[in-house]
Amino acid sequence: MLLFTASRVLRAALTILFVMTFAFVVLRLSGDPALLIMSVDAPPEAIKAFREAWGLERPIWEQYLSYIGHAFTGDFGKSMRDGRPAIDLVMERVPATLAITLPALALKVGLGIPAGVYAALHRNSFADRMTMAVSVAGFTMPSFVLALLLVLLFSVNLGWLPASGADSPTYAILPIITLGASGAAIMARFTRSAMLEVLGQPYIRAASAKGVEWRRVISHHALPNAAIPTVTIIGFMIGSLVAGAVVVESVFAWPGIGRLLVSAVANRDLAVVQAILMVIATWMVLANFTVDMAYGWLDPRVRGTAAAH
Amino acid sequence: MTLLEATNLRRHYQVRAGRGPFGAKAVLRAVDGVSLSLKPGRTLGLVGESGCGKSTTGKLALGFIPPTAGTVRYRGTDMPPAGTPAWRALRPRMQMVYQDPLGALDRRLPVGVQIMEPLAIHGAKSPAKQRDRAAGVMAAVGLQMHQFDRYPHELSGGQRQRVVLARALMTEPDLLVCDEPISALDVSIQAQVVNLLLDLQDQMGIAYLFISHDLKVVRQVSHEVAVMYLGRIVEQGEAEDLFARPLHPYTRALVSAIPVLGPRRERLLLQGDPPNPVDVPSGCAFHTRCPFATAACRAEAPALRTLPDGRQVACHRVEEPALQVAA
Amino acid sequence: MAVRDALPAPLPTSTLATIARRVARLPFAVSLATLWLVLMVVVALGADLLLPYSITAFDLKARLSPPLFFGGVLAHPLGTDELGRDVLSRLIMSIRMSLLIALFGTLIAATLGTALGILAAHFRRFVETLILMAIDFQASMPFMIIALSVLAFFGNSLPLFIGLMGFHSWERYARITRGLTLAANEQGYASAVRQLGAAPGRIYGRHVLPNIASTLIVSMTLTFPEIILLESGLSFLGLGVQPPLTSLGNMVGYGREYITRAPWIMLAPATVIVLTTLSISLLGDWLRDKLDPTLR
Repeated sequence: MLLFTASRVLRAALTILFVMTFAFVVLRLSGDPALLIMSVDAPPEAIKAFREAWGLERPIWEQYLSYIGHAFTGDFGKSMRDGRPAIDLVMERVPATLAITLPALALKVGLGIPAGVYAALHRNSFADRMTMAVSVAGFTMPSFVLALLLVLLFSVNLGWLPASGADSPTYAILPIITLGASGAAIMARFTRSAMLEVLGQPYIRAASAKGVEWRRVISHHALPNAAIPTVTIIGFMIGSLVAGAVVVESVFAWPGIGRLLVSAVANRDLAVVQAILMVIATWMVLANFTVDMAYGWLDPRVRGTAAAH
Repeated sequence: MTLLEATNLRRHYQVRAGRGPFGAKAVLRAVDGVSLSLKPGRTLGLVGESGCGKSTTGKLALGFIPPTAGTVRYRGTDMPPAGTPAWRALRPRMQMVYQDPLGALDRRLPVGVQIMEPLAIHGAKSPAKQRDRAAGVMAAVGLQMHQFDRYPHELSGGQRQRVVLARALMTEPDLLVCDEPISALDVSIQAQVVNLLLDLQDQMGIAYLFISHDLKVVRQVSHEVAVMYLGRIVEQGEAEDLFARPLHPYTRALVSAIPVLGPRRERLLLQGDPPNPVDVPSGCAFHTRCPFATAACRAEAPALRTLPDGRQVACHRVEEPALQVAA
Repeated sequence: MAVRDALPAPLPTSTLATIARRVARLPFAVSLATLWLVLMVVVALGADLLLPYSITAFDLKARLSPPLFFGGVLAHPLGTDELGRDVLSRLIMSIRMSLLIALFGTLIAATLGTALGILAAHFRRFVETLILMAIDFQASMPFMIIALSVLAFFGNSLPLFIGLMGFHSWERYARITRGLTLAANEQGYASAVRQLGAAPGRIYGRHVLPNIASTLIVSMTLTFPEIILLESGLSFLGLGVQPPLTSLGNMVGYGREYITRAPWIMLAPATVIVLTTLSISLLGDWLRDKLDPTLR
C-alpha cells in the first residue's frame, strides 16, 4: 500500500512539473516574456528590471530552473490590469469557485448515482427510459445553452432567481444547477451501465441462488463492485467541473477563477494565466490523487499488485 | 549437413519479483543453455511441460527473438538480428506454424490473399502466377479453391490451420517450426493434420522442429526427440528408442503417464509442483521433484552427456542399473 | 481464369433508392439523426448558394424582427438580430464554420494520435515512455484550460485555432492505437506477418490499421461533437472564432444580451448545436454497437 501511495505522489508531482514546463515552453515560444507580461507601454527601465529579475539574459536552463522556482513559491509576476501579484488575484477568487463547484459535484454524485442505480435495477421500465432520454441532454447540450435556457425560464419568465452577480447565496443557485446538471446526466448513464455490467456477473446470480435477500445482494455485492469504475469517472468529472466553471462563471458573472481566466485570456494578462494554470493543475492533481487512493482502497486487486506502469 | 545449428542458447528476462516498480529484481531463465541441430527432411520433437521454454526455443531458433547468450546458425552463417533486411530476406527459408490459427490470421482479409502474402512480400511473381502457386499449395494441404475467398472465421479450426500451413509453404521453406500446431484442434482433426505434416515432409523434404506437450503425437512425427525441463534439455535421442527406454527420471515420469491400452503399468509419480523459472533450484533443476535425488544432485548441475548408444542425458545417476525399473 | 463480365454501372436513381432503403432500415432515432446530419452537411457545402443575404448585410429598418410564425416577415424567416442581419444567413455560414472546424480538428487529432500510438507500440522503451507521458499530461488537465492558455499566449487566428482543436483528445486515439497495436504485435496476426518477413510499413499499413479502423471511427464520432461543444464554448466567450467570421457559439454569444427581447437570435444556433451533437452521438452509439459489440 505504501508503494502504491508513493508512486501516486511521485506521479502527481511530475504532472505539476509538466504543466509548469508546458507554460514555460509556450511562454518562450510566443515571444519575449518581458514584453508580454508587462504592458506594451511600460517604461524601458521597468522592462529591464523585469528581465533581470526573471533572468532573461541567462542561459535557458537557468531560466527554466528559476521559473520553476518562482512558480513553486507562487511568484508569477504582477497582473497587467492592476499591478497586484497575480497569485493574490487568483487565490482570492478560489473560494467563490469552490462555492459553486463543490455543491455542483455533490449534485452530480447525489443525483446522478442514485438515478443510475435506480435505472439499472428497473431496466427498461418507464423510469429507466425517461432517465436515459433526459440524460442524453447532459452531454449534447453545451453548458452555456443550458445556462441561458435556465435564465430564460427562471429569471426572465418566472422571475424566481437572479440572473447574474453574487450578492447573496440565491445567486449561486442557477450556476450550481447548470454546472451540476450535465454532469449528473453523464453520471447517471455511467452508473447505470456499470451496475448493469456488475448485475450480469455470475457472482451476483450465485449470491441470490444462495438465498441471500435481493436487497443485500445489491448493497453488499453489486454496489461495491460498481463503485470501482464509478469512482474513476468521478475523477474525470472533477476535470470537467473546472472547465465548466469557466463558462458558467462567465454567463452568470460569478466572481470566480473561471471568469478571471477568461478576462485574463482576453487581455493577454499572462501572469494571471500562469498563476491560474498552476492553481488548476494543483487542484486536478490533488483530486486525481484522492480518486486514485480511493480506487486503491476500494479495489483489493490494485492494492496487491504492481501499481505504476 | 546441418540445416540449423543452435549452440548454448540462453534467453533470460529481467523481472521484478515484488510489487510495484520497486520490487526486487530477478532473472527469469526461460531458456538456459539449449543446443540443437536440425537436419534436412528430419523432425526434431521438443517436449516438456508448460513454461519449460519450448516456445521460446522455437522463436530463438528462427531468430525471432534475440538470445541473451549463444548462437544460431543457418547453413553455417549466423542468424541476422530480427527485423533487419537480412533477417527478412532469410524468412522464405524458414517459417512458423502456430497454436492458434485464428489469432495468426488477419480476420479482415480473405484467406487466399493471406496465403499469397509471402510471395507479395518477397516480390517474386506476378499476381496471376501468385494465384496459381497458391492454388497448388492449397491443393497440397487439402484446401479447395472455392475457399480462397473465405474469411478466417468462416472456416473450421482444421481448415484454418491448413491455411496457416499453406501460407508457410508458399516460399518452399527448408524448415518449419511448429509450435503446438494441433493443441487447439479437435482430436479427429489432429490426426488429419499430423498425417498432412508427414506427407508434406515426404514430398518436400522439409525439416520440422515440432514443439508440443503431447507425447503421443511427438512420438508419431519425430525422428529425434529432446525433452526440456525449466529451460534445459534433460534428455535427447532417437524417438522410438527414447520412448521405449526413457533414461532420465523426468522422461520416465512423462512416458509412464501416457495412457496405453492393456494392463496397468507402474507409474512414476513426481512430487511437488513445477517450480518457477524465476526461482530455478540449485544444481540439477529437477532435483526438487526427483524420486532419486541425492545431495550431489542438489549441489551440482549435471551436464548433457552423450552415452555410447548416442542418447544424451543430463543426470548424475543415469548409469546406475538399480534405478532402471521395468517399464 | 475467365474474365468476369463487368456489371453495368448503377443508375443514379437506383443508388439513391438503395441508400434510402438502407436509411429506412435503421432504428428510427438513428435514421432521424442521419437525416439531420445529411442536412447539416448539405448546408455546410452549399452555404454560398443557399445564403439569402450576406452575413454582414445590415438592415437597420428591420432590426430585431422575430421569426416567421411569431410575427415576422417571409424575407427573414428566422428573424434578424440587433443590427438587422438575417439570422438564417448567419446560421448557414455558422454551420459551415463550426462543422469545418470540428471536421479538421477531428482529422488532425485522429491522425496525430494514431501515428503517435503506432510509434509508441513499435519503438517501445524511450519513445513509448515519452509518448505515454505526453498522453498522461494531456489527460490530466481539462482541455478547455490548455486551450485557453495557448490562446492567451499566442493570440487568436483561425489556422491556430483549428490546429488547437486538433489537439483535443488526440491522446484518446493514441491510447487506443497503442493498446490495439501492442496486442496485435504480441500474439496475433501482426506478429505472424512479421514472421513472414514483412517490413513494418506493410504490417501497420496493410494489417493493423484496417483492423483498428472501426474503433478509431467510433472514437471520431465522440471527438467530433466534443470539438463542436468546445469551439462553441470558446466562441461564446469571445475567444474562439472572431468577427466578421461567424460560428454557432459566436451567434449564441451575441444573442445573449437580447435574450429577453429577441430570444430567437440565441435559440436558433443553440438548437442547431444541440441537434447536431445529439445526432452524432446517436449515430456513434449505433455504429459502436454494430461494429464491435464487445466495446461498450
